[in-house]
Amino acid sequence: MAIAGLLSCLLVALAPRCAGGTNLKSPQDIQVYAVNTNFTLRWNYTEDDTHVMFSAQYRWFEDFETDETEWKELPGCQNVTLTECDFSSAITDYYIKHHLRVRAETREDKSPWSRIFEMIPYYIAQIGPPGIELQSTNGVIKIKVSPPEANRVQKMWIDYLSFKYNLVIWEKSSKAEFRKQSIFPTDTITDLAPETTYCLKVQATLPLDAQEGLFSPIHCIKTTQKAKDLLCPTNVRVLALNMMFHLHWNSQYKQRVSYTVQYLLGYLKKLHSDHSANWPHVHGCENITNTKCNFSSIITTALGFYYLRVQAMNEYNRSCLSDEVKVDPLVTNEIGPPIVKVDISDALLHIQISPPGGSENKVLRDHYDLSYRVLYWKNSSNNEEEMKMKVIKQTIGTVSDLTPSTLYCVKVQAFSEAYNKSSHFSKDECIRTAGDKMLPLIILATFVSALIAVLLVATLIIFVLYQAYNQIKYVFFPSCHPPSNIEDLGGQPFSHPYLLTTEEPTENFRIIESIITEETNQIDFKDYKHSKQSSRDSGNYSNDDDTSGSKVSEEVLEKEIV
Amino acid sequence: MSTFGLLQIGLMLSCTTKISSLHCNHLPLQQSKVIESSLQLLDKMGEKFPRQCLGEKMFFRFPEQVLKARQKETVKVAVEEIFQNIFYIFSKNLTLAAWDGRALEQFQNGLHQQIEQVEACVIKKQTHYFWSREASRLKLKKYFQKIDCFLKDRQHSLCSWEVSRAEMRRCLQFVDKVIRRLDD
Repeated sequence: MAIAGLLSCLLVALAPRCAGGTNLKSPQDIQVYAVNTNFTLRWNYTEDDTHVMFSAQYRWFEDFETDETEWKELPGCQNVTLTECDFSSAITDYYIKHHLRVRAETREDKSPWSRIFEMIPYYIAQIGPPGIELQSTNGVIKIKVSPPEANRVQKMWIDYLSFKYNLVIWEKSSKAEFRKQSIFPTDTITDLAPETTYCLKVQATLPLDAQEGLFSPIHCIKTTQKAKDLLCPTNVRVLALNMMFHLHWNSQYKQRVSYTVQYLLGYLKKLHSDHSANWPHVHGCENITNTKCNFSSIITTALGFYYLRVQAMNEYNRSCLSDEVKVDPLVTNEIGPPIVKVDISDALLHIQISPPGGSENKVLRDHYDLSYRVLYWKNSSNNEEEMKMKVIKQTIGTVSDLTPSTLYCVKVQAFSEAYNKSSHFSKDECIRTAGDKMLPLIILATFVSALIAVLLVATLIIFVLYQAYNQIKYVFFPSCHPPSNIEDLGGQPFSHPYLLTTEEPTENFRIIESIITEETNQIDFKDYKHSKQSSRDSGNYSNDDDTSGSKVSEEVLEKEIV
Repeated sequence: MSTFGLLQIGLMLSCTTKISSLHCNHLPLQQSKVIESSLQLLDKMGEKFPRQCLGEKMFFRFPEQVLKARQKETVKVAVEEIFQNIFYIFSKNLTLAAWDGRALEQFQNGLHQQIEQVEACVIKKQTHYFWSREASRLKLKKYFQKIDCFLKDRQHSLCSWEVSRAEMRRCLQFVDKVIRRLDD
């Protein structure tokens, strides 16, 4: 029983070795600490054995993911006694994936390999601290920053111009309050109290990488007295309308002073060379005496920053520079109102918009992507109706559904949605719509037809009245004078040829009778004549004639009667 | 604390954030304008490709897949990174290139403004973190590293500059096409 126990103990003791395993534990918690191109491998090893050494291996993936190389010995990490090693020399391509592993070794034994640590050097590396140079002058601190890896041949951060530097500054005495600001490689820190010691540190960052680097060591410096120089121009400001840029400033200097306006293209501030001394002059604003300058000539493209400053010089050739002002053309510029023309044709209100800045100034339209807000309303004498709005992108707009004989007013505002800018409204332009075209025609037609109707009625009435008059005249006032032949009877009897001839001496009775019958015949004849008008008989007579009838008819009549 | 006091504080906070907020709305519009302007200026700054440099033409293999990402946001940030790299390349020693200085200045100035404004908005929005870990980004970095090494090897000679300028032009034209398709 005891022997079995002893044997099992021995077996247990011997078993690991016999299985090909080791006593040594493999290292744990592998990490890589990297700053710029310096790579350090770190791990934990809990065993207390002082004779243990460590060796590492590595491999990489050549073509971004696919082929991996064979495991190779990691230079700088062979037989190290500490739990870390520097393997910077091994990494040449910072953009490809690498694998690392470590194991513990003694003379007799080797631990199993640790878990594989996967990394892409570029992602794991931290941005190192930048270098600082300080200069204290005239109450301000001039700072010059040199990028991390400044003097290195092999760089992790090849594009060192992309660094954005953050400055942290505080008064040495009061460590609590500090100020953080972004600075250019060559910059000036202003807004400082004179004769005060300040401490500062700078870090380099890569915004697009979402990376903030390590801070530089802390530097402390004391500011000098700030001499208040009345010569220096103050309150430098920019006013811009429709891409015409004007610089204005104030002066507190009493004596004669001449100004020169200087400018700098924005991108030069990003470079590490110091451009602060020599800024080019703005043409037309050199040695001027008034405190304003039109610097539109230097704004050659709307895309890009510009810095401006004013140099004042007095008669003793002493000069002073004003503060700088930064100009972002499209953001600083204000858009002016457009010019509007209105016109009415075909029952449509046409609105013609001339873009601000005129037709030559294409910059405004190109860069702002202008749209137009058109307000229109009916301007009536009683109360103004509500304004209607229309947003258009083109320079021609139309309004339909117009009410006739109304005064319409229009005003237009140009705006840029992207830049969140809008101009003032243009002046009100008003125009009256025509009256209804149909209406005058209708009136005319009505008038003419009424006129005709009236004329007809009048004619009718006149005719009726005339007829009535004739009738009345005939009935109440007949004309009774005898005909001319009867009047002749007193002188010569029977001179008329139609009278019956009788023997002379005997027939007195007969003569009288014939005279009487003559008279009655005449009367009858006259009656007949009158009645003739109303009757239609006897074709020999003409109907429309009021003649005294033909002699032939009289003869026939006489014969009948007798 | 009374509700009125809280309201006051809230109003004040919102007011201050509004005052200090950077407006980033114009960046997409400006980005397309910068591409357009940069292409024009690249043409303007030099002459046609010199015959004597035909022998030095290189194939750099621009990684087009970096601009074919599905997310619009990723493509926009990729373009910003391209701007940054182009700006860096053209900040080198250009004396042997003998190009039009004004056109070059305007070219650099335009790129710089765009980069600056995007970075300011990035810091504010913090949405570009995902871009920093984007896989294809490294291919883009390698591409520009090749051009940088090429220029260094040829000591920034005239022909090396002309080859690089032609390459940047090709790159920007491709970017222009992608952006136009995105904005449609």
